[in-house]
Amino acid sequence: MNPIYPWLDPIEVRRLAERLMMPAKASEISVKEAGFDEAFVGYASSPPPSGPATQATPAPVAAPAPEPTRGSAPVATHPEPVQQPVSETISATARGPFLDRIQQFRDWMHHNFSASGVFLLDREGSVIFDESDHGRLHFLARSLAQASRRQGSSATNVHVKIGASATLEVIPVETPYGCLVLGAVVPDALPPAAVTAVMRALLQVSSPQA
Amino acid sequence: MISIAVSSQKGGVGKTTVSINLAHAFARAGVRTLLVDGDPQGSVGLSLTRQSRLLAGFYDYLTDPGIPLDRLIVPTRLETFSLVTSGQASDYEAGGGMGAHLARVRAFLRSVSARGFDLCLIDTAAGLFGVTGDVIASSDAIMIPQQAEPLGIRSVPKLLEGLNRLRVMNPQLSVLGVCLTMVQNDLAESVEAADALRELLPQNMVFQTQIPRDSLFVRASARGLPVGVLEDGAGAQVVFDSLRGEIEAKLEPNDGKNADRGQ
Repeated sequence: MNPIYPWLDPIEVRRLAERLMMPAKASEISVKEAGFDEAFVGYASSPPPSGPATQATPAPVAAPAPEPTRGSAPVATHPEPVQQPVSETISATARGPFLDRIQQFRDWMHHNFSASGVFLLDREGSVIFDESDHGRLHFLARSLAQASRRQGSSATNVHVKIGASATLEVIPVETPYGCLVLGAVVPDALPPAAVTAVMRALLQVSSPQA
Repeated sequence: MISIAVSSQKGGVGKTTVSINLAHAFARAGVRTLLVDGDPQGSVGLSLTRQSRLLAGFYDYLTDPGIPLDRLIVPTRLETFSLVTSGQASDYEAGGGMGAHLARVRAFLRSVSARGFDLCLIDTAAGLFGVTGDVIASSDAIMIPQQAEPLGIRSVPKLLEGLNRLRVMNPQLSVLGVCLTMVQNDLAESVEAADALRELLPQNMVFQTQIPRDSLFVRASARGLPVGVLEDGAGAQVVFDSLRGEIEAKLEPNDGKNADRGQ
């Protein structure tokens, strides 16, 4: 009798092992595996769909809270709840294919937080959406998101100063598709209320259509 | 430069024996090799003089940004073989969770590369968290010694889950494979466990070379020496030369990818 099979699930072990042995490029997950529904039209490297995009409504963001300490070291912050309902943070009509919704979210980030270089990584660390075109930022975001994760709790947002007037804000958000990691280059670290608004908005646009 | 972490989920599987002897095998083949003791309880530095053992080491480098790499490197009689001990600081002093030392580990590997080494082999502490996690998340490749006995092999699912998580942080990590250790060909349970693991995992994930349980290895590792330097150890060195050959073959197609990766 095989001495170890009764103690483990050979199919699951084989799946994990084969995934590990894939070359780095090939380890990018498939759309099906990612759990995205039929609305998902592909990764950002594909030409964006030409359908009419719904204009996201600019969001009034709560008065900025005292700014957290910034420096060269990553700083974890814990967002405080804000009063605005989700529908006020991004248009409730921001529906459509997944990538359209994310682009609307990107526009909303630009408008409200002067964000640039917005990107979104999935739970495997693969790029879902990217306008930064900067792999090093993805790597930094993955590392920061992982490092901010405390045992038994979800990851919190982290920011790190990457230039004289540029801060990489990393915001992990639990969504129906697992934890997505949002990265955005902003002039200054976002106050907690803004982080909460961003988390809500991303959760809204990434959730499957009702 | 290529950096290889020698790691496992479980302790006592022969990581240090594999690390010392594999590093020695590479160095004997002319590869400029740095063996790093990433296990505060490891015995890579056991063969060193008492004075050398008091030198700063890997954990000191992690905790003190003022320590240059040159202060850590201990040369050996073999010109191509150098060591870095775990040092005086411990993993408790290093503290912090996963990711806490990522930047320092990467700075260490960059310095090793700049110093002209071809290979940096890091013998890590058991488990895939803390400093060990940071080492794996910074290395080009990982090899996993695995004791050929049923209890040990039951830890394989956790190992694979942990490595898949770490690969999110280090997508370029190349998994060289699992190396069966302490194989006892005269013991049915050991042989069955080894066969079961080979059946369970993809063929390219298990090294063909197996490390037998042999009193020579116990004697050598107890003194922190490569088996090849023991008077009667030349024969046993062949096993690690074979393992080196397998690793070289696995790394070969990735030469372009791994060469001077900007850590």
